Amino acid sequence: MATEYVDAGKALPYTALSAVVGKAPPVTSGLTSDRILNARDEPQNWLTYYGAYNGQRYSPLDQINKSNVGKLVPQWVFQAGSMGLHSGASTYAWEASPLIVDGVMFVSGWDGQLWALDAAKGNELWRYKHASPFDVSLCCGNVNRGVAVAEGKVFMTTLNAHIIALDAETGKKVWDQPYGDVRAGESATVAPLIVKDMVIVGSSGGEFGSRGHTDAFKLETGERVWRCYMIPKPGEPGSETWPDDGEAWQRGGANCWVTPTYDPDLNLLYYGTGNPCPDFDGGVRPGDNLFTDSGVAVDADTGEIKSHFQYTPHDLWDYDSTMEHLLFDLDGQKMAAHFDKNGFLYILDRTDMSAIRVVPFVDRIDWGEVDEKGNVTPLVFPDAEGDPVHFWPGPAGAKEWTHACYSPQTELLYCPVQDIGATATRRRREFVESIPYWGAGVAVDADDIAGNISAYDPRTGAERWRWRRDLPMCSSLLATGGGLVFGGEPTGEFNALDAETGDHLWAFQCGSGHHSSPATYSVDGKQYVVAPSGWGGWAEGFLPKMLGSSHGSALFAFALPD
Amino acid sequence: MSDTAVDVSSLNRQNGIALGRVLGSGTVGHAEEGPDGKMTGTIRIPEDELVYEPGILIVPHGGTIELTLINDDKNTHCAVLPSNGDTQFLWLVNHSKGTATLELDGPGYYWYGSTTGNDEGRGLTGAIVVGGDVPAEARLDRPPQPRPTK
Repeated sequence: MATEYVDAGKALPYTALSAVVGKAPPVTSGLTSDRILNARDEPQNWLTYYGAYNGQRYSPLDQINKSNVGKLVPQWVFQAGSMGLHSGASTYAWEASPLIVDGVMFVSGWDGQLWALDAAKGNELWRYKHASPFDVSLCCGNVNRGVAVAEGKVFMTTLNAHIIALDAETGKKVWDQPYGDVRAGESATVAPLIVKDMVIVGSSGGEFGSRGHTDAFKLETGERVWRCYMIPKPGEPGSETWPDDGEAWQRGGANCWVTPTYDPDLNLLYYGTGNPCPDFDGGVRPGDNLFTDSGVAVDADTGEIKSHFQYTPHDLWDYDSTMEHLLFDLDGQKMAAHFDKNGFLYILDRTDMSAIRVVPFVDRIDWGEVDEKGNVTPLVFPDAEGDPVHFWPGPAGAKEWTHACYSPQTELLYCPVQDIGATATRRRREFVESIPYWGAGVAVDADDIAGNISAYDPRTGAERWRWRRDLPMCSSLLATGGGLVFGGEPTGEFNALDAETGDHLWAFQCGSGHHSSPATYSVDGKQYVVAPSGWGGWAEGFLPKMLGSSHGSALFAFALPD
Repeated sequence: MSDTAVDVSSLNRQNGIALGRVLGSGTVGHAEEGPDGKMTGTIRIPEDELVYEPGILIVPHGGTIELTLINDDKNTHCAVLPSNGDTQFLWLVNHSKGTATLELDGPGYYWYGSTTGNDEGRGLTGAIVVGGDVPAEARLDRPPQPRPTK
């Protein structure tokens, strides 16, 4: 005899079956764009992606300093774990930079995860999970680089190229705007940036023949303000650097997958743009291919390109220039410093993006020569079909997307350096939307590699000190008023160095490699340093020797003992 | 290449060639869309098969979908389902019936599963396929491009 079904009820939110509190204090309700503009006036907080618009990744906090950093111990650990089948099931990594606002930490993970944590204790206050398609195109793993906060909201991009705004107290969605086409191979991993009344994002998809763009939306409503393409259409400025009669511009790359820096006085956003497509086959895109591999100054109100500097014209090595432009004033000059994948440090005049000086910052460079003003002479590149060509730096770059920092205390730049080459063999292919479009087979070196954290004098470009390692360094660096530089290693150690000498002062083994951006903050007068640890991502591209390392998924907060 | 013929149906049942049912080898079903735009679907867990039926549910486009989940098995399972905001959890004791409301963007597909023991590995891992396109304003300003044909 048939029986009635038991009523299983309605599905529950998963967090209902956890210790998640469900609510955070209203710390961002008074967080205006003016406060973000003056973010370093609040050293207890880390209000925006780089800590401040200038991208310096410097905090004046000095409770933790050279004399006591050796006593630093973990205060709490937050562990994310991984559940079920998700995209990039074997390539997820923790690449974010946490933000901290008056004792609350907002941090994104992989696969659409965002948490609000008690910054002093590590307890989970609320959680948001965006359901990301399993089959979204991801060149470089299931990652997200961070969030933005303002006016009571938290903003995050999603793997399927949405920008979402959440209520910062509850984690509930306020608005949601798609801004990329997943059927065209687009995705999003960038940390948004708040400027005035806008939230600004960029697209990923440069390995799939996308046409790179950056977009601005009203932070209150999600209404679009502007979109700026980094590949001009025929007839637009820069279009003369693409074939007249070809289709190359339509899939030319130049994606903006790293957060720009911003000069409020000039009202300019400083973007680094990605590689041209196909990455290694220049034969289908003769010309310089603007605005790929460039530093591009964009008017924040209109999205109009005002000036640019192209680091690697007609790139044949996958030398994205997406990494940050550090802004600082020195000797009366408004400067921007950029460590490029191609192995050269560029000091620019950021009022017009002209080169002040260009110097190499890695030991081995043979792809080409670059003079003191940035003029390029290519020497070694994949050219003949099927002919393997080895070059330094490889497509990992002498510096990856992970960030350098600048200390106004020492007036030095600090860079995580990768000394690693690769072999590319050109293999021409037709473009098909959503399929990788590289134009070569590539194998990055697993032997004869090295790395270092180094300090450079922006006045001369000279390397002032070097902390040498056997493996390339690929974690963002953090400089503090305590005279310290913090940075993680692929092998899991999180380190503190003397900012003046490079002396190694402290390390803690986090159990998984670092490919993220640490931050520092204080709560009730106690300084913390926070570091996401979770190896993965595009490891086959930037460090294949460590491809077999454990993934990990932990966020460590360090402080001095009470 | 082996010249031994494989009975494909043996991949699509418990304790055939493999121990469980190979993921993705189940049946395909479609969600229904009413005149009001509401999308609905029903998924069952048949007796002793350790699968969701249909194994792949196709939803015409992104949006909100109301699922009815029925456990006809004589063992307890569950469904941990993707949805924007938070993963949704439904505990399904023997001979039970419940609902889940999911918000999914399109296009793309999503896995879900029964996260008890190794239900997921034995076959209780299903897929929800969301069709459609992103809105025009999100797409690239460029002429139509060639797409894969195979």
